[in-house]
Amino acid sequence: MYEVCTIVENRLENPRTNTLFFDRTFSARPGQFFMVWLPGAGERPFSLAYPNGLTSKVAGEFTAALMELKPGEKLWLRGPYGRGFPLKDGFLFIGGGVGIAGLRLLADRVGRPRFLLGGKDAGEILYHEELARLGEVRVATEDGSLGMRGLVTDLLPAGGEHVAICGPERMMAACLSRLTQRPSKIYLSIERYMKCGIGLCGNCSCSGRLVCTDGPVFTASELRRMPDFGRRRRGKTGAWTDI
Amino acid sequence: MPSVPRHLELHPPLVNGSGLLCFLEVFQHLDRQRAALGGYVTKSIGPEGRPGNVAPVVYDTGHVMLNSLALPTQPIESWIEDFRSLPVQKPVIGSVYGNRVEEWPEVISRVEAYVAGIELNLGCPNYVPGETSLMTVVGDSPAMMREVVGLARAATAKPLIAKLSPNTDYLAAARIALDAGADYLGCGNTAGPGLAIDIEAARPVLSGISGGLSGDAMRPVNVKMVYDIYREFRAPILAYGGVSTWRDAVEYLMAGACIVGLGTCFAYRSTRQMARLTRQIWEGMQRFAGSRDVTHLVGAAHV
Ligand SMILES: Cc1cc2nc3c(=O)[nH]c(=O)nc-3n(C[C@H](O)[C@H](O)[C@H](O)COP(=O)(O)OP(=O)(O)OC[C@H]3O[C@@H](n4cnc5c(N)ncnc54)[C@H](O)[C@@H]3O)c2cc1C
Ligand SMILES: Cc1cc2nc3c(=O)[nH]c(=O)nc-3n(C[C@H](O)[C@H](O)[C@H](O)COP(=O)(O)O)c2cc1C
Repeated sequence: MYEVCTIVENRLENPRTNTLFFDRTFSARPGQFFMVWLPGAGERPFSLAYPNGLTSKVAGEFTAALMELKPGEKLWLRGPYGRGFPLKDGFLFIGGGVGIAGLRLLADRVGRPRFLLGGKDAGEILYHEELARLGEVRVATEDGSLGMRGLVTDLLPAGGEHVAICGPERMMAACLSRLTQRPSKIYLSIERYMKCGIGLCGNCSCSGRLVCTDGPVFTASELRRMPDFGRRRRGKTGAWTDI
Repeated sequence: MPSVPRHLELHPPLVNGSGLLCFLEVFQHLDRQRAALGGYVTKSIGPEGRPGNVAPVVYDTGHVMLNSLALPTQPIESWIEDFRSLPVQKPVIGSVYGNRVEEWPEVISRVEAYVAGIELNLGCPNYVPGETSLMTVVGDSPAMMREVVGLARAATAKPLIAKLSPNTDYLAAARIALDAGADYLGCGNTAGPGLAIDIEAARPVLSGISGGLSGDAMRPVNVKMVYDIYREFRAPILAYGGVSTWRDAVEYLMAGACIVGLGTCFAYRSTRQMARLTRQIWEGMQRFAGSRDVTHLVGAAHV
């Protein structure tokens, strides 16, 4: 069920974020995800940032273990799963923090991209130079260490025929209220707690839609009919927590 | 002990298996997508919230699925809040379990007002390593089975399903469950359990080490269970196990089931595709039955 790959490089993006490059590529549509297994540490969902790599931010034990991986060590992936972004030209990308990783693969696959990136500080603005080679990049940081001081939402509204957003859910919800594009042209990649990753256990439900097989990419018009978006999520027992 | 069996009114006679899709808002959404399910079965509800196993919790060979979710459940207060705020148009069956005998009726009495029937999960083969599971003990112990079903019967006047394990002496278990007041037999939970080792990792894949088998390849196991139990008792049966086409559903009806559950067939499908699959299954069943009601097919293989 798993495809095994070997780590060839562990690139530190900032003190809490790293990118693992593999000895092989995986084919996935941008926005799809894989269940990544590290025997002994567990299995968690990740999108790919590169055909041969993923970017991870330390959130707990598993991502801490990913941070420690050395070249030569192995990683197990199953996937790709779920529905990704459409491949269309003229995307405005809006990324917040490690959410920028969820957009990285799409950026390479579409024409005329433009980027609005936000983070706490300059270190959180992932792939800044790589993206600047693809299109215009505008940055907002909370401490003002790169770009404008403020939030990514302060850069809105902005042009673009389609919009791709990935970041903290509150940020994504705030973007929606400031965008002028039609809701059916705005695509958001969302997260919920996943266990099976393949549409069986139901744990990743967001208002009854399964993030693993219906998503993780939804349009803003779909999210309008998903009141739990921006509001609440189910944790690993299924109990609710507020967002 | 009641003498008149209580009936579940499910049109069509199809449900999801417990633990598949689990939550009331998912049932609401499948209903909006016009799923051809006559009712929904909740995730098994236990006495207190617990996460079960952490991932990896599923292993798929393409023919058979192993899962070791091991009964995660949200706290019962959270379930009740959901029952109040997320109404489902179709009948909802509450699947329940306890860790100790006296907890079964406690759980039932908390949820029974909100559901159309109660399904006792008496045969979950999964556990969290280090933890002893009472569920398998219930299936294996006639005395405990009698006590649990009897207490459950006393705790609800609604239809009561005893969902059994195919991995035990299910004829003996069915007899006890019927004697103790169960209206339906659920046939059955996952088979096995089985174990998969990843040879590159040189260790079991599932964090629960072993996991229950579901899906296509285990269907004959539960078809036999339904067949044997129907032949012996002619009791109403809810069948689960490896149904993914209308032919599979008809096979279970012919073996003796009156209601058929769907589970692993939902894998890799969007909710829209799941709903479409249920419609295809139901349409195929009706087409096969022709001018007669599908209920005429129940037990048809018993000559
Ligand atoms: C579709 C999808 C794509 C993702 N892509 C990336 C990515 O490219 N880079 C990245 O750094 N992170 C990504 N994540 C988030 C990543 O899965 C979590 O950060 C990781 O699971 C944390 O595990 P942990 O053991 O380190 O932390 P834990 O201590 O287990 O949890 C910390 C927090 O992480 C989240 N989390 C934990 N387990 C899960 C789970 N099974 N499913 C969903 N969320 C979980 C929860 O919000 C939790 O509160 C993605 C999540 C999803 C659903
Ligand atoms: C992921 C998963 C979780 C399950 N959880 C439960 C559960 O909580 N309670 C229960 O009675 N059965 C549970 N089951 C068993 C199913 O309800 C069903 O009996 C079994 O999977 C056989 O049907 P299938 O082959 O159509 O999936 C679970 C099965 C799977 C695959």
